[in-house]
Amino acid sequence: MFVLWYIPLCLLVVLAFVLVHQRAYRSCPWFFAYVVFGVAADIARFAVQKHRSAYFATYWITDAGYAVLGVLVMYEVFRTVLRPITRAWWVRLAFPAILLGSIGLSVARNQASAAQLGGRLMLCIVVVETAVRFVQVLIFAGLVTLVPILGLRWRQYSFGVATGFGLYSTVALLATTKFSDFGTRFTFLWSVMSVVAYSLAVLIWIWFFSVPQKAETPGPMDSAPSPGELERYKDVLRRMR
Amino acid sequence: MIAIFLTWLIVAVGALSCIYMLFCAWSRFPRRDFDDVVHFLYPVDLALAESLLDPAAEFEFRWKLSRQEFRQAQRKRMRLYLELVRRMSHNSKVLVEFGNAEANCHDPRSVELARALQQKAVEVRFYSVLTLVKLSVWMWFAPNDHGHSATMPRLRKAGDLDGLQSYHALKVAAAAAFLHLGPGELEMLTQNL
Repeated sequence: MFVLWYIPLCLLVVLAFVLVHQRAYRSCPWFFAYVVFGVAADIARFAVQKHRSAYFATYWITDAGYAVLGVLVMYEVFRTVLRPITRAWWVRLAFPAILLGSIGLSVARNQASAAQLGGRLMLCIVVVETAVRFVQVLIFAGLVTLVPILGLRWRQYSFGVATGFGLYSTVALLATTKFSDFGTRFTFLWSVMSVVAYSLAVLIWIWFFSVPQKAETPGPMDSAPSPGELERYKDVLRRMR
Repeated sequence: MIAIFLTWLIVAVGALSCIYMLFCAWSRFPRRDFDDVVHFLYPVDLALAESLLDPAAEFEFRWKLSRQEFRQAQRKRMRLYLELVRRMSHNSKVLVEFGNAEANCHDPRSVELARALQQKAVEVRFYSVLTLVKLSVWMWFAPNDHGHSATMPRLRKAGDLDGLQSYHALKVAAAAAFLHLGPGELEMLTQNL
């Protein structure tokens, strides 16, 4: 059972190598930062696990770090997918609106359990963490909706990142909701589910990033048409008018 | 109570999205290649679309016709533009699918042209979807015949995109991507788009 908790760490290390190998840190810098932070945070938690107070502080500090990086990664995904399509003002407002709505919903949801949580700071971290889960699921669902509507290609890095977070956050939200509904009876089962879901998310990321994504701007020699092709192209354009 | 309901709703939406992505990964629908493009396109008369969106033409209609006549004429014009936008939407979907399939080929120039085509097709698709929604709402809720809320020239832009300009750019990108077709097929492509 103990081994199960360290599977995500091993998978994250593999993912970090894949990201470096594919040079994906260029197209997804915040996601790369998230993965590196994930590896460092898990190692730090492992190092201090026998010191109760140090582990407590490390856990919550790294949890806050995960939440902040989680939002930045989702913003990166959102911008990468939507920026080439439109620059309409209302699209730029969509992400802040989702973030504010998620924080509002998270505050409303965690009000009932405020008394059970130790301190004010911890409550803030839990509220932010739940809000990040909402943001991740909503952005993921929004992007998935665009696949059939606009015909976007789903096999691209941004969709891979969103899918991993979407899956994990859906399970995490389900777990926390069920946990508060049924008390502590399901603690073990749900925590195992959470680790399994995170491991699955990391596997999804490894799968998506294992295929190289072709560069957006090929070299000038690649794109030069022959004079004959150019003439045909001009002829077609003339007929089009 | 509402917060719990919304949480469950978001969880359900997340689960459905996961299932859809799983479906995308598992389905092996044949990819669209060159043979599945030209014959699947519907012709779009851009000159007609231009005339429907012309503010001067609409002003003339308002000036010359009675309220009742203008209302009828406007509904006909809307229906006609709806059909044109539907065709634009269909054509852009066909070309997006083709661009997606070509993005994986090995020739860098074909990839570049397919990517440019896909980019323009997604823009047209985005414009078409927004305009279809807007037009459907206008037609369902019977536009105010002399009001300014449902004027056709307002349909030229949606989501910060000029629909007709975007469609013209799509035609140019398609001509570049399909340049290696035979003269007959290329002629058909330019006519059908």
